[in-house]
Amino acid sequence: MSALFRLRKTGRRLISDSKGFSSIVGAVFAVLVMISLISTVFVWSLSQNTLYNNTVTQTRQADLDRSNEKTVVLNTTYTPYNNSNVNVYAQIQNIGSSSIQFITVWLYMSNSTPWTNYNFSSLVNANVQGGSTFTLNVNLTATGVNSNSTYSISSWLITARGNTVALQRTIVFANNIIVSQTTQGIGALMMDFQNFTCYKVKQSGPSYYLDFSSETTGYTVKKSDAPVAFRVILTDLDTQNRNINLSLHSEFFSIFPSTGGNYKAATWYIVNVDPATGVILTPFNSQILNCSSATSVYFASKSEGSFTTVDSNDMFLGTCPINLALVGTIGTSPFGQNIPFVSIYVS
Amino acid sequence: MQPRFLKLLKSRRAVSAVISNMILVAAVIAVGFAMLGWAQSQSSNYTNQYGRAISSDINQLQERIVFEYIRYDNAKNNLTVYLMNSGTIGNVIIATVYVNNTPNSTIVLRLLSSGASISSLNATQEGYFSIIPYPSLASGANYSIKIITGRGSSFVGTFST
Repeated sequence: MSALFRLRKTGRRLISDSKGFSSIVGAVFAVLVMISLISTVFVWSLSQNTLYNNTVTQTRQADLDRSNEKTVVLNTTYTPYNNSNVNVYAQIQNIGSSSIQFITVWLYMSNSTPWTNYNFSSLVNANVQGGSTFTLNVNLTATGVNSNSTYSISSWLITARGNTVALQRTIVFANNIIVSQTTQGIGALMMDFQNFTCYKVKQSGPSYYLDFSSETTGYTVKKSDAPVAFRVILTDLDTQNRNINLSLHSEFFSIFPSTGGNYKAATWYIVNVDPATGVILTPFNSQILNCSSATSVYFASKSEGSFTTVDSNDMFLGTCPINLALVGTIGTSPFGQNIPFVSIYVS
Repeated sequence: MQPRFLKLLKSRRAVSAVISNMILVAAVIAVGFAMLGWAQSQSSNYTNQYGRAISSDINQLQERIVFEYIRYDNAKNNLTVYLMNSGTIGNVIIATVYVNNTPNSTIVLRLLSSGASISSLNATQEGYFSIIPYPSLASGANYSIKIITGRGSSFVGTFST
């Protein structure tokens, strides 16, 4: 009761004596202004922050989805056909949980000329559910491709989330023999068995040269043609894209069957040859095999580092297996590889 | 009541106090409204600026550019960059391109599918542009390319010549 009485008394006094009323009105206004502004700005700021946080969350989710795109590429083959066309075939398995949409396939080709070309094609309805396999089978125009050269071909797919899926790099030979890049187990170097040739070595003044006009297959050699040189086309398929540097110790080594326990062997050491004139360059400088490029490598010398002809006296008759004993460096690491499966017949 | 009202009219001793109070109250109310208006306009400016900044940040966050293929033609000193807008926002403008730390702002963007000139890339759209780097790039070397978009995002790619 006393509190109510006091309130009434205060109200009556306030009405009878209006001094300071404006201060109260001002204070009320100030409080109203502050409350309305602060609450408005606060709520609005909260909504803006929520908007920003939502975007950050969505962006992170998109990045997460992108990083979770996982694929395995199987059975990549490239088939040049009808000059200037390449068929790209591959199976891409989506081993992730989210679906993947492939939107573009790219093709890049090069040879040792050096010649390069590229093209792309948009893919329609190339959606792959998680765990499913997508079969890519597209034809791309690659102007300049012909059936008389060897190409290194690579291809990659672009996903809608912005990932790049590389298909296996492949070397395609002139006769469309397709060799997938499976060099992890047998070594980085691959030999073109279809283009294994032999040349007569001739002398012009103090220098020796390979008579390119005398080119014959390397599988059958006439002893009477000696001195001869062999050319093999090697391609570096290193999965780490390192170049190979062949040293002067690399050799073309033949073993002829014999009786009595003595073996008969002939060796041709690696040489540098001017590709335009055929001149054998001495002393030997290292032979570089650029990754993914087919490179002609010549073996002609009886001695390593310098040049001495392998004469008919150094050769034997009959069939013999050949070993390409190659040593050097790959990138900055030591390298060595023996390429067997070649035989020659010397008549 | 009538004599009392008449008495009030005749006696003017308290009138000045009432009027002054009314004036004071009116002044306070006027100043209060003015302050309210001013404060609201200030907060409106602030919220506009803040809103624009947040919106710009959000748009920038949503921008994603991926490099599909970068090709340098040594003979022609021509660099062609194929890219895709993999973000969730469109109207991505390529403002400046840095190659070998040299800026290039005259970018003619084209659609990958048709080669038609476009001003910006929409979401999931693929395009390309060509520039002539100066100085020309060395053969067999690795370079990086940086793209600055109109919203200020930066994307970096690498390529070999």
